[in-house]
Amino acid sequence: MTAFAPQRLSRTIAEGAFLAFCWVAAAVALLALTAIMWSLVSQGIGGFFKPDGSGLDLNIFTMSTPAPGSEGGLLNAIMGSLMMCAAAMLGAVFVGVLAGTWLSEFARDSRYGKIVRFLNDVLLSAPSILVGLFVYEILVAPLKGFSGFAGAVALGLIAAPVITRTTEDVLRLQPTALREASVALGAPVWRTILAVIWKSAQGGMLTGALLAFARISGETAPLLFTALNNQFLSLDMTKPTANLPVVIFNFALSAYDDWRRLAWAGALLIAATVLTVTIIARLLAQEPRRS
Amino acid sequence: MNAQVDTPPETAVLEIPPETVKLSIRDLDFFYGGKQALFGVNVSFAANAVTALIGPSGCGKSTLLRTLNRMYSLYPGQKATGQVLLDGEDILGSRVNVAALRARIGMVFQKPTPFPMSIFDNVAYGVRLYEKMSKPDLANRVEESLRRAALWDEVKDKLKDSGLSLSGGQQQRLCVARGIAVKPEILLLDEPASALDPISTARLEETIAALKTEYTVVIVTHNMGQAARLSDHTGFMYLGQLVEFGETEQLFTNPVTTRARDYITGRFG
Repeated sequence: MTAFAPQRLSRTIAEGAFLAFCWVAAAVALLALTAIMWSLVSQGIGGFFKPDGSGLDLNIFTMSTPAPGSEGGLLNAIMGSLMMCAAAMLGAVFVGVLAGTWLSEFARDSRYGKIVRFLNDVLLSAPSILVGLFVYEILVAPLKGFSGFAGAVALGLIAAPVITRTTEDVLRLQPTALREASVALGAPVWRTILAVIWKSAQGGMLTGALLAFARISGETAPLLFTALNNQFLSLDMTKPTANLPVVIFNFALSAYDDWRRLAWAGALLIAATVLTVTIIARLLAQEPRRS
Repeated sequence: MNAQVDTPPETAVLEIPPETVKLSIRDLDFFYGGKQALFGVNVSFAANAVTALIGPSGCGKSTLLRTLNRMYSLYPGQKATGQVLLDGEDILGSRVNVAALRARIGMVFQKPTPFPMSIFDNVAYGVRLYEKMSKPDLANRVEESLRRAALWDEVKDKLKDSGLSLSGGQQQRLCVARGIAVKPEILLLDEPASALDPISTARLEETIAALKTEYTVVIVTHNMGQAARLSDHTGFMYLGQLVEFGETEQLFTNPVTTRARDYITGRFG
């Protein structure tokens, strides 16, 4: 048998078939995504224009959710979502970055570290409705009231494990030699982490935080039990707080055309935000790295 | 085995005159968990001289170097027993302030490890840890260190650029500058040229040769030519033992022990 004998026919067929399956699978996945995006854009874009098509309509950003048949927008829901996401991210970044740092720098191989890492992974994939119920039990029921804070806690509980995980992963990627170089100059370990390791990993850590934000910005289930909703614009987070996902949930199932129009517009708004944040995260992750 | 009248000794370690000793290692054993990596090392390194450590991979020369600045203390499984006396003071004790010790003993690693910050901040990093300095003083210290490391002319117009933007050879000289900026007494070099091209290596060697007027330098190297060119004393290590230690010229031209002779003449290693 020579080294350059033609490939056996059965191999050629097997290879072609495998490649074809890969193509079909990729096409199905892409088709579903495109269909979702298409229905979202085609139905949602109308909310940003006047009903007669005569120009831009910024009511979405200036007016609160209306009663059926009257003019209105999503201002209260947008503000509520922004406030709760911001509060959630504040707490989640604090907890997640420190927990991830601990796992990577101090507890890499310890038994306790392994347990914490495992539990974090469990939390990472816990159904979000469970998180909502949990916060309802510990915050909403005892305090006898839905509130924006409870919503923020629920969202934070979903975001924190994501940030913990990504922080640990990017910190582990930093070369040991970098840590040793700083320590060799007489720097204490905490200073090495703050000034050298975090700095070296900041792009990846920021990416993790942005992905966590993208994840919680569309979460509905945990907010149903915690923030509930609010018809009016309210900046008081101790009261029930409006938010985009729950407004979409309520309006999309309603019988009123104008409500459904707003629901689609809100969904498009969330999708556009997530897309933007994801693109930013990608760009940050690509920043020039050490060779 | 040939029957000889004078059997060559198993080990031969030159004693350095006590008044020139900077670092003295006594009965040093080292363990990675349960695995012993150094066996009863006894040797002294002279002040203001370059000492080279050579030997095949895994012989313990880097381990010995990492004992001298307690780098191993970062890792819970690693342990050293015996004594390492710096100016007569044991640095292996549990009550030693390890960070302060490391400020006195600089280290440059195999691969360049610039910090993700500007060239200026890279050099100033260690200085800022232990000294409160005015801005002009700090700038002078940075310039002085970069000049010593033979890097100043190449970077003086771009001190604000990232340290990562330099070439590999420049990065390694930046690491040398960073190490000497804190004015250590001893400089440990762990195969500093192994990731560099020949031209960068030559420049780095010039830098190292110029440093010994003020520092005690210990260099681990795979390159025997480098050891011969740079060092005053050379130690040959094998399987965790210091087999032979002496004047560089003597060790390279007329080694006393069989194992050192075989290694240097290229019979193994």
